[in-house]
Amino acid sequence: MAKGWQDGVRNRPLYWPRDYLMNGDPKARNVLALLTALFLALAVGFALVPAQPGAPVRVPIVPRSALAIAPMTVRISAAQLVKSGGDVSGLDCYACHHKESPPEIKSDAAHRIVLPREHTDLILGMRNCAECHPPSDPVKLDYDDSGNVIVPKAHKGLVSMAHGRNFRNENCYNCHDRDQLDQLHTPDGEKLKFEQATLLCASCHGPTYRDWLAGAHGRTAGYWDRSAGPIDRQECASCHDPHAPAFTGLIPMPGPHLLHPLPKGQPAPSKPDDHAL
Amino acid sequence: MPFDTEEDGMSRRSFLRTSTVLSAGVAAVAAGLAPLRKLGEFTSVDQFLQKYYKELTPQEMKTVLERIETEVQRQYGVRPHVRDYKPMNGVEYVYALNLTRCVGCRKCVHACVAENNQSRNPEIQYIRVLKMPNDGTFDMDKGDHNYAPKSVPEPGFFFMPVQCHQCKNPPCVKVCPVKATWQEPDGITVIDYNWCIGCRYCEAACPYFARRFNFASPSIPSEQLNTNMSYLGNRPRYKGVVEKCHFCIQRSRVGRYPACVEVCPTGSRKFGNILDPKSEVSYILKNKRVLVLKAELGTLPRFFYYFDI
Repeated sequence: MAKGWQDGVRNRPLYWPRDYLMNGDPKARNVLALLTALFLALAVGFALVPAQPGAPVRVPIVPRSALAIAPMTVRISAAQLVKSGGDVSGLDCYACHHKESPPEIKSDAAHRIVLPREHTDLILGMRNCAECHPPSDPVKLDYDDSGNVIVPKAHKGLVSMAHGRNFRNENCYNCHDRDQLDQLHTPDGEKLKFEQATLLCASCHGPTYRDWLAGAHGRTAGYWDRSAGPIDRQECASCHDPHAPAFTGLIPMPGPHLLHPLPKGQPAPSKPDDHAL
Repeated sequence: MPFDTEEDGMSRRSFLRTSTVLSAGVAAVAAGLAPLRKLGEFTSVDQFLQKYYKELTPQEMKTVLERIETEVQRQYGVRPHVRDYKPMNGVEYVYALNLTRCVGCRKCVHACVAENNQSRNPEIQYIRVLKMPNDGTFDMDKGDHNYAPKSVPEPGFFFMPVQCHQCKNPPCVKVCPVKATWQEPDGITVIDYNWCIGCRYCEAACPYFARRFNFASPSIPSEQLNTNMSYLGNRPRYKGVVEKCHFCIQRSRVGRYPACVEVCPTGSRKFGNILDPKSEVSYILKNKRVLVLKAELGTLPRFFYYFDI
């Protein structure tokens, strides 16, 4: 009689896998055989199809040009932004051009200003009246019955007055000199040049000017560490149109979507608790 | 007993059976482990054996940075500059956000994504702008982040961007079981992406919803990769690690403003050194009405909201 057998009956415990396969429960045997076949098939499959990295997903993403200003090269790249056809609505000429050394303005034979090619899509605000009205040829102003200046039709859209609406309003002459429009003056009579426009604003908006001096109002870029580099500050008129200083609305950039792109026609999830990341 | 000859050793039949089962088992194990072969493309032995950030010597850190540069170059085809920027002495960063001025244009969100190499698909964004009803509460649950009007701001609402508050008492750091996230001396809470195990405890612990998890390998178009990278900051993350706002560590630690500050068209975002009494954030905290989100939790954020009026 073999070891482990007594009268044809096992007298020692089963051990895996040999005894199970040979003498064990036929159900377990079948399951084991099935699993073995499955994994063998998998092994053949993996061996035949070599692992390959998935192709990187190309996703329509918010283009960098949609940002008013590229974050890496703020302000410095404004000219590049103009060239690349980005949104230049928030730009001011002096973001690129220094006030001390303004660019030479070229005129054609008919005395019209020739715009450089990279500025063709730039809407030049008529901030400097002297571009068209030189001081040697002063403008004669017309008034309506209540003493307000009648803005000529040709200026529609160029100058819209939405500033200084109080009971002492003198329209243009709140800020501009009566005789010389390219000269400024504060309400208490202090004469200022165009370059000192920020001081003119400060003469009415004291608290905001104080905040601006401390850095708490207005855009900042560049270096917070003054020893590492310069801070780039904007003057009042860089952001606010002096004739209509209140901001108009902005188009918001796209909201969060976990996966791009959404199928066409499917609205964005509107519930705030959609557990999107 | 012709079929049982155990005493003499192994029969031919049992040998064949055993060897078949064994080889099948080996093949099955190999099949089960086969997906691991893919891992070699993402995880090198050096990366796997890399030490904890705080234990790396400068020489080792140099090797690690070079290895990461090579990894990024292999994946994106662009060689980045990965640096390990150290905190400056006498500097503690504080952020102030003007709720009176913010119009909710979300330019900060997308500038942040571009600067910090966040995954574009699946999308990861550090800043979440909430459209809040003007009802006098600051209940974040009432905020809607999916607003999409034609023009912002909207009457009757104010807009509150929320990002990592860089708490002085950060709950996320407390819960990390492997100390993969910690607070630096300049106040920035950072993550060692090579040490994070992806348990997401920190994500659950954060009361400001500031942490994001990489459920999949991040996908960033190569041409949009920002190659100015830092180890603790904006280098490409791995699948299965947590990330969050780090005040643009690669910018702030060389003295520059974070990307969200520079891009904000209304100048609502202010950033600086609170230890410098002349900085704009010092002025704001001294002179403005300041609000801390969820102050009752005692997290002591370094991120303040303020009002002009």
